[in-house]
This record gives sequence, C-alpha cells and structure tokens, in this order.
Amino acid sequence: MSTATTEHAVHADGIWKIFNEGQPNEVTALQDVHLTVESGEFISLIGPSGCGKSTLLRVIADLTDATKGDMRVAGHTPHEAREQQLYGMAFQQAALFDWRTVRRNVELPLELQGWDKAKRKARALELLDMVQLADFAEHRPWELSGGMQQRVAIARSLAVDPTILLMDEPFGALDEMTRERMQNELLRIRKETGKSIVFVTHSIPEAVYLSDRVVVMSPRPGRITDIVDVPLGGDRDEDTREADAFFDAVTAVREALRGRVGGSDARAKVGEV
Amino acid sequence: MTNTAIADPQTSADGASVGAARSRTFARRARNGGISLLWALAGVGLVIVMWELVKALGNVIPLPLNTSDMTMPHVWTMFAAMGEPEVRGSENTVLDAVIAATFRSLLLAFGGFLIGVAVGLLLAVIMQRFLFAERGLLPFVIASQTVPLIALAPLIVGIGNQIEIGPIKWTTTYSVMFIAAYLAFFPLSVGALRGLQAPTPTSLELMRSYAATPNQTVRKLRFPSSIPYIVPALKVSAAASVVGTVVAEISTGVRGGIGRLLIEYARQITSQPAKVYVAVFGAIALGLVVAALVTALDVYLTRNLPKEKSA
Repeated sequence: MSTATTEHAVHADGIWKIFNEGQPNEVTALQDVHLTVESGEFISLIGPSGCGKSTLLRVIADLTDATKGDMRVAGHTPHEAREQQLYGMAFQQAALFDWRTVRRNVELPLELQGWDKAKRKARALELLDMVQLADFAEHRPWELSGGMQQRVAIARSLAVDPTILLMDEPFGALDEMTRERMQNELLRIRKETGKSIVFVTHSIPEAVYLSDRVVVMSPRPGRITDIVDVPLGGDRDEDTREADAFFDAVTAVREALRGRVGGSDARAKVGEV
Repeated sequence: MTNTAIADPQTSADGASVGAARSRTFARRARNGGISLLWALAGVGLVIVMWELVKALGNVIPLPLNTSDMTMPHVWTMFAAMGEPEVRGSENTVLDAVIAATFRSLLLAFGGFLIGVAVGLLLAVIMQRFLFAERGLLPFVIASQTVPLIALAPLIVGIGNQIEIGPIKWTTTYSVMFIAAYLAFFPLSVGALRGLQAPTPTSLELMRSYAATPNQTVRKLRFPSSIPYIVPALKVSAAASVVGTVVAEISTGVRGGIGRLLIEYARQITSQPAKVYVAVFGAIALGLVVAALVTALDVYLTRNLPKEKSA
C-alpha cells in the first residue's frame, strides 16, 4: 500500500492515535496525519499543547503505537527502525546518567549494541569533539551547564550514526541566549552529518530558523493544519535571524497557527507593509 | 598525592583540574572526618563524666535509681575487669573472651548480612520485573517481619537441625546466620524495589529508543539509579543483622558469640558486676564496626554521584 522508499526519512500515511478508545475520556491525539520527511530534510513540528506533535514523534520512534495508519521510518516499520537503531533521539531533559562520565554517557548506546571498548571510546571522543566538549570527556554530567548537558545528549543521539534524529523540544529548558547558540550548533552538526531531523518545538522563531519546512499542528483533535516552507536556503547564521525572509516565514507560521489558511497571503501582506 | 591518579591519564588540563578538585574534596572529607572523630571522643568522655557524676550524686542525696557499685560500677572498675581472668585460674582475660566473642558474632552478622543483601536484591529485581511478583510477594515480605523473632528462633533451629545434605550438617550457627539474614533482607528488598522503580520516564524511554533489553535496562539504568535508595537500606539491614545475631544467639543458646556472653556475664553480676559491662562494650564495638563497614561501602558506592543526591 505504501509507496515509501528508503529515500524518505519518515513517511506517515493516515496515522491515527486515539487514547482510551471507546471510553468516556477518549482523546484523539492524532487524526489522519499524512507527512513525508525527505532524506536530509529538517522538519519542525509546532503547535500548542495537546496538538499531538510529541505523540507523532513518539509514534515515529516506536515509543507508542499508532491506532491506525501506516508509518515508515527509513523504509521500515518504526519497530524495525528502533531495533536497527536507524534513529537517534534527544529529549527536553538531557537524561544523562549521573554515575557515568560524559564520555561514557555518549558510549551508552554503543555499549548496548555490543561495541568493543576501544572503538566506542574513539567514537565518543570524536562526537564530543563535534559538539565541542572534548575537554569535558572525563567530567561528570552534573558538573556541566544545561546547554553543555544537552550537547552531550545530542552527541549521544548521534553515537550509532543513525540516519534520522528525533528531537523532542531539546532546547525547551534552556535560556534564550544558550538556546540560540544551540540552534547554530545543531545547524552546523546537521550540515556536517547530513542527518534527517524531526524537531518538536513550541517556539516559532526556533522552528523557522532551523527548518526546511514547518509542520503546523492544531489540537482537539490533534492534526496537521498547514505545512509552511521556509525559503531561507542551506546557509543560515545570526544574520538570518534579522533577515526579512526570516520574519516573513515567522509571520506565515504564526498566521497558520492562528488558523488562517494560506501562509503565502500573510507573507504578501507583510511584504506590502 | 595519590588522588591525582584518579584522573584519567589521557585527559588534558581539565582532567587535571578535576583531579585537583577531587583531592580538595578528599582533604575536606579527611578534615571533616577528623572533626567528627573528636566530637565522638568528646561524646564518650561526656558519658563517662555523667556516669561518675550520677554515682557521686547518689552518695549524697537519694536518687530514684540504685547507684551502688553493684549496679553501677566505676568506669575504672570496668576497665580493671577487662584484665581479670575470665574464669578463676584461666590465662584468658575477660577482654580476650569478649574480643573473641565479638569477632565470632561479627562473622555471623556479616554472613547473615551478605545472605540478606543477596536475597533482598534478588527479590527486589524479581518484584520490579514482574508486576504479579510484586503483588504476590510484597505482602509476604512485609508479613515476614511481623512474626516475632522469639517465636521464630526455636522453629528455625528445630527445622534446621533436621537438615543434612551429604557432608553438610545444619548447625545452630547456621540458624543464627539465617535469623540475621531474615531480619536483614527486608529493608534492602523494599529499598531496592523503590530504587529500581526510580528512573524517570525519559530515561526509560531513552533505553527503549536504544532497543535495550530488559536485562540491559536493569544493569545500565535501574540498578545504578537505585544506589541512593540502596545505601540507606544497607545501613538499616546491617543494624538489623547485628541485632538479629545477638538476639538469635541468646534465643537459640548458641555458644561463643557476644549474645551468649552477655547472658553468662549478667548471671555473674552479683560476684563481678563490672564484667557484664565489658560484654556490653563488645556489643557496642560490634555495632560500630558494622556501621563503619557500611559507611565505607556508602562512600564507595556513591563516589560518582553528586553529593546532594547521595543522601
């Protein structure tokens, strides 16, 4: 039925997720979601609480099952994708293990896959170098700032070299300045690794700054209401945040969140003013 | 000094600064330890002074307790009693006998503690893994502690003495160890169960996203997360194993341990009132040694954890 190939990082075909089906407290968390994430693409899921953006990410990650519909992750079922470690995941909490050094936290997924000691150490140091924390390899996680901890979590999610990164509000708990630095880091890492990324966020500027496309979702029932293209190109830096095209895209996403159809209209209006 | 060796040899300047921070921590701990020791000694001194003060006061005004040398011997009489022969004409002094008995009880308590910890951990892992096991076992685990030890001891001795597997013959010594283990396993199984259930949902989802097996999740996440819960439980278990040993020695009548010695010396209180206090010191020493061992274990187990978490 599905025409998804391995070219698609994620292919969701009519995904439904209903909690407590048939009971009085039934909730439709996802209603008929269709979404294709191309290989190498950066997609953000944005919307108010209860719009199902985290649920959608969790269905992709096989942390929960879809009630209905067909989900493909790198051409596989989510279960296969998880078993084969085709995706890496980062959460709002860095969830580093206090009893392990920073390096050994990054090694954890490799350890679980049975990598030998020397190989996983080399890999972890390489990744810590990428997130610019090589000097902190032998520190304990609790000796690091929130932003540094989240960088370790990102390094850890890249450890098994997955094709897809799934990120659930990874910068949600950081202050604004750290957050913007982390966004630049993530764009750099994305460029260096060519990963496909699905990124859940509450922040409109964050979604726009990072993404090729912003998927706008709406609650009760949770569904995709609009998909906004972000024509900012592949090279983004601090100047991008002050570019007209950036503000246009932010406005388009905002309008889409308010439920007005046609992000292009909004953009045209902004252009006139 | 040797603390710099803790830092990984391949680390750079930061590794060295971690090493320095750790040696500073070590120095602070050593200093705190020294101060604690001084306070502890001051406390012992205070008890001795109070003891003698109460005795002296009892000679002047009538007190609601008997302060005669028969019931409250002078502290120096107690020390003198240590050097007396255990029985008339014996080369062994009372102190020798108390030390030997304390050591023997320590071994029994330690054996019971180890068995109790092993059983407690095993039960906790089983209960965490299978909900039906938690539902089915936990009530029995709790009920096991409501049975009075006095009722249990003769039962264990009675049943135990019938056990004979090849060359291994159950002796009353095993019964003592069993009773110590019986008291020690409970705090540990309950504490460890709570600890194994402590990881945050995010950590558990992280392990799931790595396709970790349930065994891997226990080894790499649940068990290390349970350390802050296991450490206080170990302390309670260790104390329970000491109490269990002494009480079991008394109620089973097994010879050679400090429990039995306490009873024997208490019977001689009319002839040698200071003697029983030497046995009491032995029992206190037993408790202190076990407490020190568990504290050392605590420091070792929580060495990598932030200090506020290793409560």
